[in-house]
Amino acid sequence: MAEEKIYEDLSTVRSRARAVFRIVAVLIALAVVYYWKVQILDHQKYWELAESNRTRLRALPAPRGLIRDRNGVILADNRASFKVSLIRENVVDPETSYPAASRLLGVDEAVIRERIEMFKGLPAFEPIVIKDGLSPFDVAPIEGRQLEFPELLVEAEPQRFYPHGSLAAHVLGYLQERTPEEAAAFREKAAWAGQMGGRTGIEREYDVRLTGEDGSAVEIVDSLGRAHGERERTDPVQGEDVVLTLDVRFQARAEELLAGREGVIIVLDPRSGEVLAMASSPTFDPNRFITRFTPAEWLALVNDPQSPLENRAIRGLYAPGSIFKPFMALAGLDFNYVNARTTVFCSGSTVIYGSPFACWFRPGHGSMDLSEAIKNSCNIYFYQLGRRLGIDMIALAGERAGLGARTGIDLPGEKDGLIPSSRWKQETLKTPWFPGETISVSIGQGPIQMTPLQVAAFTAFIGRRGTRVRPHFLKGGAEGEAPVKSLFKAASFGPVIEGMWRSVNDLGTGRGAAVAGLDICGKTGSTQVMSRERAEKLAEAGIEIKTHSWFSGFAPRDEPQIVVTVLVEYGGGGGETAAPLAGRMFSLFREIQSP
Amino acid sequence: MMIDRRLFQEVDWVLIGLVLLNSLIGVVFIYSASHFVPGAYYLKQVFWIGAGLAALVLVALVDYKFLVSLSPYFYGLTVALLAALPIFARVIAGTRSWFALGSFRFQPSEIAKIVIILVFARLFGQYKGDYLSSRFTASALVLAGIPLVLIVLQPDLGTALVFTAVVGGGLVLAGLKKRTLAVFLLVSLAVGAGGWHFGLKDYQKRRVTTLLSPHQDPQGSGYQVIQSRIAIGSGGLTGKGFKNGSQVQLRFLPARHTDFVFSVVGEEFGFLGVLTVIALYFLMLARMFQAVAKARDRAGGYIVFMTSLLIAFQFLVNILMIIGLFPVTGITLPFLSYGGSSLLASYIACGLILNVRMRRFANV
Repeated sequence: MAEEKIYEDLSTVRSRARAVFRIVAVLIALAVVYYWKVQILDHQKYWELAESNRTRLRALPAPRGLIRDRNGVILADNRASFKVSLIRENVVDPETSYPAASRLLGVDEAVIRERIEMFKGLPAFEPIVIKDGLSPFDVAPIEGRQLEFPELLVEAEPQRFYPHGSLAAHVLGYLQERTPEEAAAFREKAAWAGQMGGRTGIEREYDVRLTGEDGSAVEIVDSLGRAHGERERTDPVQGEDVVLTLDVRFQARAEELLAGREGVIIVLDPRSGEVLAMASSPTFDPNRFITRFTPAEWLALVNDPQSPLENRAIRGLYAPGSIFKPFMALAGLDFNYVNARTTVFCSGSTVIYGSPFACWFRPGHGSMDLSEAIKNSCNIYFYQLGRRLGIDMIALAGERAGLGARTGIDLPGEKDGLIPSSRWKQETLKTPWFPGETISVSIGQGPIQMTPLQVAAFTAFIGRRGTRVRPHFLKGGAEGEAPVKSLFKAASFGPVIEGMWRSVNDLGTGRGAAVAGLDICGKTGSTQVMSRERAEKLAEAGIEIKTHSWFSGFAPRDEPQIVVTVLVEYGGGGGETAAPLAGRMFSLFREIQSP
Repeated sequence: MMIDRRLFQEVDWVLIGLVLLNSLIGVVFIYSASHFVPGAYYLKQVFWIGAGLAALVLVALVDYKFLVSLSPYFYGLTVALLAALPIFARVIAGTRSWFALGSFRFQPSEIAKIVIILVFARLFGQYKGDYLSSRFTASALVLAGIPLVLIVLQPDLGTALVFTAVVGGGLVLAGLKKRTLAVFLLVSLAVGAGGWHFGLKDYQKRRVTTLLSPHQDPQGSGYQVIQSRIAIGSGGLTGKGFKNGSQVQLRFLPARHTDFVFSVVGEEFGFLGVLTVIALYFLMLARMFQAVAKARDRAGGYIVFMTSLLIAFQFLVNILMIIGLFPVTGITLPFLSYGGSSLLASYIACGLILNVRMRRFANV
């Protein structure tokens, strides 16, 4: 009993404590079972989650291939730049994130929202570019605040750069970013929405070749997205270079000559079809299009078919005017409607099908043969020739010479021309052909259209005496393409070339193009841009309407090495404006050939 | 006060060894979880272990009966401190739980857990029946209720939960009648439901819904649990190696050196590491609960039991919380998690157990 006083009976308390401890033990055992499930049974799943947590696949964008001229001069280069992208997955609240990013980057919030809308079909972890073309100085303050902006990703990106500015802008074209649809349609190489891709010109034509293969790096990242080194890396492969047939010396001269005018100068090598220069004025600076944020009005300007910034050389359709006359002569000779000695008397005007038709030289050229008629660009001679041939023989000859059709140049967007025929008129205009219309066509007026490039290709065709080559820009691009012999007899070309030679060298209309020491053959043209009646009325009112001014020729006379075609819109007479410009191109050719 | 040699003979060196072993394991994983950030947390933890040992010795030396006799004063002081919190406390992490004096921070609710143990020991030590009478139950509930309400108001739900568990354990030990237990459960349910609708803050509700489906809000409150589970699961059988867990080293795991330190064990030492640490902890808990049987009187038994339960409950909640079986409540893992307050409180608790055990024969 004494013991009880000192030691109480605590058996109940002890057994209850043991029971509670047993419950604790059971709970711990259950916890161990659950740890076993997570760590052993589900290990693979959590292992993969941990791996995807700590790694990030970073794209290493490949630079595009360079574009060089035939001498190796770089026309399209790359330079280092940075872009900032937004990763929607990391945006906590768009209502605070977008305005904050807008302030940090100096980008309109509307632009950010627009970009996100544009790429909303992409998975949320895909970065959407919201600013590009940044220098290291620009990105330093952005990277410094990376912790506050986990949704922003700063990456290096090679950016296109055109070191010569607007030089050959129409040929080179420009870049725009690929839309998600375009990226999906681009199958030859891996492309991504937001990547800069060729939109026009050579950049577009050889986009597949120029586009590189992006590399990638698996980065170890921490919970704040900071990189802690790389694990695997596939280096980007730069796109292939494209070497053009273009010669910057000709191109620069051509653009210099066209400065302040609207027009086209094309220089071709008729032996191969290589294009040495193709200038279209007015022009633009493709460096304006290297960012994804080109103002919409700029894009509209170059994409609008009516735009002054279109490449007139392949997309401008003009009546050829008098430069069509050598073709008429060729057709007449080849179909035996005339021969070299056939003469026609020009009194300054004539009446055909009851209507009066005038020569441009009102006093009249008198009696002349075919080459004299080409030299003087006499309308009367060709009216008569056209009357004899009739529209369908003209159309047939045109088809054999490849007129009215695309040349097949390696530049996107080339347009067809038009050489009319009676069937064409019946089919498109639903009215029969009137013989009187043939008379206009005979001097390259009326419903007849050619691009300056088609004129240049035809000039080469005459110079090569019936052999057709395909104009092209890619150096070596036409190798393996055999020149096409036409159905025209070689002999038919002699009197035509004679006439063109005399036009330049025998005080003809093309004399302005003459260069000492170079046997140039050419033809001028002055295209009426409205009906003659209307022009005459305006002239009476004292308003001078200038014609489009043409010259197209080749040199030397035998085995020609160069074709020059010049068109100056509203330039006046071909002899006054276009021929001297062509002469400057020919003299450059001579300088380069024999310095 | 004389220190009897007999007292010294009854000191439970095994328990002290286990406590120290667990604490050192904690230091190792705190190092792994924080060596890449400035602050040398593992060294600070070593310092706190030293301070904890000193506190343990101090608490063990003063006869628990003396402490129990003083408990009304401790109680009054603690309630006063808790009541003063809304006026003087600094808001840290959205709650008013801390008094701050310069860089020293002090959390009265940690003390409240120990004090209520002493208060209950005094209350139930006098009660000799096998089952609690309604009057005793009511007075116990009122005594526990006042500090509990103040803790809930801070709001510090984690501590409130531990506090409730310890009080509940004390009542069970004292002998709760089945009917009382049923009423108790019903009232808790009603309070819980009412609290859910009117009392809980949004972030607290979210923690509970997050437990049910953590992937609903992976960036928000579910993030911690998801990352912790990934850390533990990716550890596999043997783990990724010391200082080699990507979830820890690359900072995906939140609160790595504090509440989630056990996830570091799971990731870097795998299931085997988890088993080892749990086994050591279990040995420590078993040693603590065993001491209930060594208590000389009721008051001592209550102290040992409620203190052991305090440690066991926090351990259980923590290892369930970090693997997603319990809402994230900010309950640390005693002896392993980094933190001075928590470590000190755990060592004081351990000191109480030693105190009771070493006086088993004594009528000194």
